[in-house]
Amino acid sequence: MSFQNTKSNLDYYHPIRPPSTVMKLDRLGSFHQSRLSFTRRLIDDLKYQKSKIEIYQWDIDNSGIGSAIIKIALKKETLSLVIFCHSINDEERTDRVIAEKWDMTFSLFRGIPNKNELNQLFKNLKIQESGRHNSKQLTLSRANKSQRIFEKVLNDLSIGKQPSEKLINDVGYLVRTTAVYGNGKFGIEDFSKTNGHIFLEKPFQAEMLTVYLVRYFSIELINFLAKKKGGKKSVNLSKHLTKHLGVGNATGLGMAPFLVNHQELIHQWIYNRETAISRVFSIKRLNKKTQNKIINYIHQAFKYSLQWKVDDRLQSKKIEKLSLDLKKILQNEELTKLLNFHYPIKRFFNFFKDDITLETQEILNSIFIEPFPELLEDLINNMGAEEKKSVLISYTVNDILEIIKDNFNWAIKIDTSKPEENYCFWYTSQTKLEPRLGITKKDAGIEKQLPFDIAHQIKQAVNTLNKLPSNMTTAEVMINHPELRNIIKRVIINKSMPYSEIQNNLIGKDMKPIDILRCKLSFFGASKYDPKSNLWTRVTLFQGAPLPNQLWKKNINDWLFPNLSNV
Amino acid sequence: MISVSLNEIYSETYKALRSVNIEWSLAKDCANKAKWLAQHDQSFLGSILKTADFYQKKEITISINKNTNKKPLASALVGLLLVEYVSANKITWGGYIDSTKFLLAAMGIIAEEQQIYLILENEKKDIMAFTKDKNIYVNSNLDTNVPNYSFLRTYDFIKKKNSKFTSFKKNKDVTNLNDKCWERLKSMAFETYVPESETSKSRAGY
Repeated sequence: MSFQNTKSNLDYYHPIRPPSTVMKLDRLGSFHQSRLSFTRRLIDDLKYQKSKIEIYQWDIDNSGIGSAIIKIALKKETLSLVIFCHSINDEERTDRVIAEKWDMTFSLFRGIPNKNELNQLFKNLKIQESGRHNSKQLTLSRANKSQRIFEKVLNDLSIGKQPSEKLINDVGYLVRTTAVYGNGKFGIEDFSKTNGHIFLEKPFQAEMLTVYLVRYFSIELINFLAKKKGGKKSVNLSKHLTKHLGVGNATGLGMAPFLVNHQELIHQWIYNRETAISRVFSIKRLNKKTQNKIINYIHQAFKYSLQWKVDDRLQSKKIEKLSLDLKKILQNEELTKLLNFHYPIKRFFNFFKDDITLETQEILNSIFIEPFPELLEDLINNMGAEEKKSVLISYTVNDILEIIKDNFNWAIKIDTSKPEENYCFWYTSQTKLEPRLGITKKDAGIEKQLPFDIAHQIKQAVNTLNKLPSNMTTAEVMINHPELRNIIKRVIINKSMPYSEIQNNLIGKDMKPIDILRCKLSFFGASKYDPKSNLWTRVTLFQGAPLPNQLWKKNINDWLFPNLSNV
Repeated sequence: MISVSLNEIYSETYKALRSVNIEWSLAKDCANKAKWLAQHDQSFLGSILKTADFYQKKEITISINKNTNKKPLASALVGLLLVEYVSANKITWGGYIDSTKFLLAAMGIIAEEQQIYLILENEKKDIMAFTKDKNIYVNSNLDTNVPNYSFLRTYDFIKKKNSKFTSFKKNKDVTNLNDKCWERLKSMAFETYVPESETSKSRAGY
């Protein structure tokens, strides 16, 4: 570890950006994966655990139907991914959560399932949400083959040919998951049961491990099927192309309420990210090697932006502008000089920030924190949060009004009487029990809306609180006005966790749910966001990540902004 | 019997209570208390269904001032509010309580999270439960199934008589429940879901 990568190289602390800057949807919707993302942390943890990942059982036939078990030996525990591959017709294959059949179904399991458990898994995994699941199951998931690429790659490999780099790059995965359930869903193990388990107690670790193993399985499967189809003529997918394959994921509104419902957790993620940025802005000097690293990452991000192709017009424009911004930065003559100054990262960012988009600003922030894992270790390992069920009792009416004045000015400013600020409502759909967005004036069901009208609730609270004695305890207020409990609790949490609230009207006409999804997905470590509408997106996970047999290698976790250099 | 996770208990409970128009925060408080009871190996499901039924029939109240033996305070709904109020205002509250186990859960939660020392006494001022050092201790003579007139207050010093107290220990992550009652709860929860409109479906990837 060099001196520059330690906290001793920080002789002041650059103030972290305030929530009023960070917690806006347009910025949250510009976040990219970073050192703090869960996919990255998983790779570090698998390495630390000296994990051994191997095929334990393989009963797949020549057409790709059957079952398999992948065993993961950790320091103190063995886990397994149980896989079933099914036969489905092309017309039955859909990305969305509404599907009822899938090419593959999975579950991450504690230990190795015995015969009875395997039978139970066989019956229930294929029906996913409709099944009843076991408390030894840590996750529940399914995936479909990519119709754009799977058969093509299989055919090429079976005749001894590597598939085109362009094809691999354009799609980026062989299979695409459509849901990865964890935390007690449908009877599987509760997240709270992982307390004290150094590997699994981190948020979304079981889900990320599932996806990582699905990627490994998809590669093993294509090599196996190519061999069965082509015999001696066949070849395995090259290491170079294999590493560039991730797992696709289609994500919709189901993910959005999480950021509203888990205030403490979202604060922790964003506060840690902002702290990481503030720390690297406080670095006094950079040595030549690190300066070069940063420039290389910008080059990589530039190439990544050129290979990031989407149909969505708005996102396409953003990517185009991102490429232009990065090119401009790379061509700027001041670049090397800026990185040689005192407080180089801060100066670098301030030099460019007014001329670049939010998308570029946030990709730069991901780049800036990339070379300094030692400086961020405490943050990377502290992405969880304890959620309180009770409301802290030490607050009065006056305290709440003061917090609202200081932290919720964004809500006060919204004219909640305007129709455009009451444009939509959130509800849970009967079809798949997933959150959905209705249009207030068109759709039925507003009486069953979810309480995501935070700005409206703030205004209601202010109206009531202003009529009450200023020294009345909030506990007394809530017992007389239970309808205010939800918002008073949120306000009190926000006092000590200021990054816990998205500062936009979540039922307003201008709100884009895709921004909420993108924010969460960036913490997962997703890349190549490919919005299909304002309501759902495809992404890629683990593209460029090391494979299980590469986990022991040095610097294995350097895979920010993967790109195929020859494309 | 059906084996369910704590997360399922939480989400199905609050949705079921929302289906009878119970305030969001009260429904979520109740769900947290149900989860706490499940974790501590205490039954809860029948009381939740009963609470929803009594609430609709107006046979329980959420008023801390206007409760009677015939219309007791629904501790399943306002237990947490009550312990917060008593703790914040440092008062002694007295009244009729329905499903006392939910008040015990609320006392347990606030003891764990805010380390508040509370004491629950019966009409004769016998100690029925108290919290100390993040734990709750319950008098083995307490019948939680009938409405009780009780006093709730904070305390600095406690003088226990010869009663036997049991500490509720957190030891369960999976709970086995009566499958018919669970289905009833789930069907109530289902009533809070909305059939999807065409506007919702459009652009959502259908």
